[in-house]
Amino acid sequence: MARWFRFARAAEAPPIVPMSGWSAPLTTLASAAMSFLAVLTLIAGLAADRLAEDWRQDLAGLATVRVSAEPEVLETRVMRALEVVRTAPGIAAARVLSEAEHLALIAPWIGGVEALEALPAPRLIDLTLEGDGPDAARLQSRLDRDAPGAVYDDHAAWRGPLARAAAAVGRLAWAATVLVMLAACAMVALAAQATLTAHLDIVRVIRLIGGEDRYIAGAFVRRLALRGLAGGMAGAGLALLALAALPGSGAGGVLGGLLPGTFGWIAIPIAVPLLTAAIAWATARASVRIALGRML
Amino acid sequence: MISLDRVSFGYDERDTLSEVSIDVPPGSFHFLTGPSGAGKTTLLKLLYLDHLPRRGRLKLFGEDPATLERRRIPQLRRRIGVVFQEFRLLEHMTVVQNIALPLRVAGHRLDDYQADVMELVKWVGLNARIDAYPRELSAGEKQRAAIARAVINSPDLILCDEPTGNVDPEMGARILRLLIELNRLGKTVLIATHDLGLIRSARGGVGARILRLADGRLTLGAAEL
Repeated sequence: MARWFRFARAAEAPPIVPMSGWSAPLTTLASAAMSFLAVLTLIAGLAADRLAEDWRQDLAGLATVRVSAEPEVLETRVMRALEVVRTAPGIAAARVLSEAEHLALIAPWIGGVEALEALPAPRLIDLTLEGDGPDAARLQSRLDRDAPGAVYDDHAAWRGPLARAAAAVGRLAWAATVLVMLAACAMVALAAQATLTAHLDIVRVIRLIGGEDRYIAGAFVRRLALRGLAGGMAGAGLALLALAALPGSGAGGVLGGLLPGTFGWIAIPIAVPLLTAAIAWATARASVRIALGRML
Repeated sequence: MISLDRVSFGYDERDTLSEVSIDVPPGSFHFLTGPSGAGKTTLLKLLYLDHLPRRGRLKLFGEDPATLERRRIPQLRRRIGVVFQEFRLLEHMTVVQNIALPLRVAGHRLDDYQADVMELVKWVGLNARIDAYPRELSAGEKQRAAIARAVINSPDLILCDEPTGNVDPEMGARILRLLIELNRLGKTVLIATHDLGLIRSARGGVGARILRLADGRLTLGAAEL
């Protein structure tokens, strides 16, 4: 029995490739850095997408009719314009903004309510649209005929550029995420090459005693994937901590609406390390098998 | 077992081995001799499939490695036990781990082979050193561990490159006895050596033949010892 225990202790298999060299901690560190950046770019991409969608949703169902006229006919024109829009298809509701609402809306741009009282300000009709909204050209034509000075504005002039800008920021963030992942691939490939080169003597011995490429590759790939996973967990965790520590990141804060919800806080620290490990596994496997393929 | 037909090989434009033809039948015992730089190690490298011939045809166990599917090369290598000149034990593994490595690489469970491994360890006289690391071993102990690793898989062919080059004459004789014993068990043995004393000491112990290389050419083919 003692002999068996001695054998079992002595024969207990260490890794085929020893745990040594600088590439091991550097792989973990680089995976952590890549994962940290990936989480930030991923969240930036998601936030930009959400912002673009929010703007689209907020603005898509709203339009305005602005009525400008001499003070003595202004009220009459407003009422005519109201009649026109209420009978136009694609408009669910129309409401004339009260003077107080109107003043509150434009006061910040003019410099105070007092200054406005002396100006001939236009009146606004707030429209809630339905479906695809009204035929803008036809509606404007009716307004021109029945309420001259009334202008239909569906905010298209600035809604489009704003949505396009937000979408471009989103695409940029996604591109950055992809670049980070590609950089992670390159880093793992270099680490795999470095590890393989550092242990070339061992690899050659194992091959000459009958080791198959997949067996040898497995010894490297498992280790690099585990390092990728460990680094990925550390990086993702740090990134989420950094985001949570940002001012205004709480539920009611300025950034609260842009940061991921509860699902995101759970899913990201799971998905990003797994993705990092998967990238490490696939890249290491490919690069080691290519390198082994060059040997007999 | 081994057949070389006009085999040439070189590491650069120059041929290190030139037009070598050899037949090694199963169960035979051969010494491959010649001065340093004659191409002995290179010939062994071709035989344990570290390289393929540049020209000519090599056949091992009836298979031509040059035309063999790549995935079948490891299976062929498992039929060959190699004792390298510089031992090539893995420094991060103990003696028993090194000896059992071919079993592990072939996907066997070590528990199933405990008795075999321990018997072999005892046979090479290392039973007191199973948990030592190569850096803690003498040259003779390393050589015996390397022999044990070479034969743990019960290969058909055993190739030894200067197996007594790093040991004293007494240890050299002991190692030769181990190899002769393996030959008696039916293994084909080919020993590359420039140690004529070792070859002489085999006289009477085994029906060995001698192959001699000089400047990469075979100058003596399978002469009786």
